Amino acid sequence: MAKPVVRKPKKKANPLKAAKVENIDYKDTALLRKFISDRGKIRARRVTGVSAQEQRLIATAVKNAREMALLPYSSSAR
Amino acid sequence: MRQYELMIILDPDLEERTIQPSLDKFLSVVTKDNGTVDNVDLWGKRRLAYDIKKKSEGIYAVVTFSAESATAKELDRQLGLNESILRTKLLRPGA
Repeated sequence: MAKPVVRKPKKKANPLKAAKVENIDYKDTALLRKFISDRGKIRARRVTGVSAQEQRLIATAVKNAREMALLPYSSSAR
Repeated sequence: MRQYELMIILDPDLEERTIQPSLDKFLSVVTKDNGTVDNVDLWGKRRLAYDIKKKSEGIYAVVTFSAESATAKELDRQLGLNESILRTKLLRPGA
């Protein structure tokens, strides 16, 4: 019988801690750009490696920034 | 009394020198109702991520002030009525 392959997920370093960011601001587009894909979509938590609470703050910040045309809703980079 | 943060996108075709007076005129609503305007930060012209009212640029301004909620609402309403204002966002930081 083949042994089931158990994958240990590798823990990612928290990018917010690395950048020493305390509060996530929708005006800080340079930071928020790290959390969106090149098509403008918000990156998943398993990709970004931040905590659930931080991910939620990032998501609202990105959405606020989109409303104010600081970030794109979608970019046609195809 | 509450702390507010207001971001305004103005029409890029406005003349640079008329911006500050017109902002002051809008913000007089706050001071009239015993509020205080703490900081006005003019970012200047910036490219929009997408077109708003067929404009691809906008003049950004960020204002922090403290006022009653009714006053803040009234200010946002008056800004929305103005043709030369493309968009506004009124937020309470940390809430």
